Amino acid sequence: MSNQDLAIKLVGVSKTYQLHHEKPTLAENIVRKNKREMFTALKNVNLEIKKGEKIGMVGSNGSGKTTLLKIISGISTPTKGLVKTWGKVVSLIDLSAGFHPELTGRENVFLNGLLIGMGREEVRAKYGQITNFADIGEFIGAPMYTYSSGMKLRLGFSIAVAADPDILILDEGTAVGDEDFQHKSSQKIDEFFKQKKTIILVSHWMDYVREHCQKVVLMKNGELVMFGKTDRVIGYYLDQIDSGK
Amino acid sequence: MKLAKKYQHWIEFVLAMTEKEIKARYKMAIFGFLWIFLNPLLQMLVMGFIFQFFVPIKTVNYFEFLFPGLLVWNFFSYTVVKNTPMYVNERALIQKAKFPREAIVLSVVLSNLFHFLIALVMFILFEWLFNFKIHWWRWCLVPGIVVWLTVLTSGLSFLFSSLNVKWRDINFGVQAIMPLWFYATPVVYSLDLLPAWLARWLYLNPMTAIVEVLRWTIMGTAVGWWGLILSLVMTMIIFGLGVFIFKKESPFFDDWV
Repeated sequence: MSNQDLAIKLVGVSKTYQLHHEKPTLAENIVRKNKREMFTALKNVNLEIKKGEKIGMVGSNGSGKTTLLKIISGISTPTKGLVKTWGKVVSLIDLSAGFHPELTGRENVFLNGLLIGMGREEVRAKYGQITNFADIGEFIGAPMYTYSSGMKLRLGFSIAVAADPDILILDEGTAVGDEDFQHKSSQKIDEFFKQKKTIILVSHWMDYVREHCQKVVLMKNGELVMFGKTDRVIGYYLDQIDSGK
Repeated sequence: MKLAKKYQHWIEFVLAMTEKEIKARYKMAIFGFLWIFLNPLLQMLVMGFIFQFFVPIKTVNYFEFLFPGLLVWNFFSYTVVKNTPMYVNERALIQKAKFPREAIVLSVVLSNLFHFLIALVMFILFEWLFNFKIHWWRWCLVPGIVVWLTVLTSGLSFLFSSLNVKWRDINFGVQAIMPLWFYATPVVYSLDLLPAWLARWLYLNPMTAIVEVLRWTIMGTAVGWWGLILSLVMTMIIFGLGVFIFKKESPFFDDWV
């Protein structure tokens, strides 16, 4: 397969963290240099995702899903191995992060838009679309600390979808806010699923994954256990859980 | 084309972060942005007034002697102290998205530079109005001094902020060192008050040369040219080391915050 059809390529990706039970201090580090505990979050992960594929990602807590997503989105760097992504990656997880509480909604739209990779002109052009979708009314001119958590999520969601990413990372909780907005945002996400966007969906809700994804990645203890057709991987995963392994 | 777009986004992002720094500072202040001018004006008035009555060292005009050095020092120390814990404080941003990490440190440098430049221009106006003796050709060197100061401040900011991600002791160390550093820089005194052997060593601190050169442009005081070169070399070492450590550590900031 040529690289042209690929959206994401991981070759031999490993990630180890230094465990620290307490904040490291310089003195401790000098005195006890060799007593470092290492934790392996990812072990030799190889993965190729084609453009436009909708991929589910399943696995128990602590299996390495989050670390893998962080590496794909470029937030974290692997200890070993190569990561290559083609196109703009935007994560819809943790939508209300990165807002400045003292700045107004409007000022935060620009800052957050640039943060996730939009240009200034682009944000300006899409500003109406973003505020319309968020639909928070007068609050757009108020400082962010006056917002409810739902309003922050709505604004965060609206900015992220306006960024028009090529690769989207989401979880089942991405439909956010009140009844009304949940409907609107899940519609938007369904729209993305119909378009030729690459999507990685992290979920513990197997029916949702079955419905939306053609292929599934199964993670366990930092290893990629299985990558293949949805029914096969989910079937295997559920069997494993049932047999208590 | 792709590369040009990347640079454009980089510049836009750094400027947006700088704007954030400046705007966030004056939120909830009744005088708001007026403080940008009010602050240096009040400082000048207070110092100009006080030092009419006593002059701690032998110089023609102690206010003229003191104020520019103080401006330079304040820019330097505020910026480095604020930047040192910056990557830890902005962990929410770091965990959110991939963006040029240097923008966080540069935004603090640039927003403080903005304030520093306004204060400096106000000082120049003040001099021009009340002293009538600006050496225009020497003043032409001021932009060069500002660039030097910015390079030094950025380098040290990169160094300390990158190290502080892993070792939070750095922050305490910087806070402890800054007052000492102030006295190791000839802001309130002049170098000729010191024994010559000590004055020479003071140029290991690049802030010494920056303050001395600035003073030279304003008052025409003497500058030790060999010390100047030493300070320049030290600046380059600090900047190089800062950028090197930042480049090495910044891909892994997320692991530690």
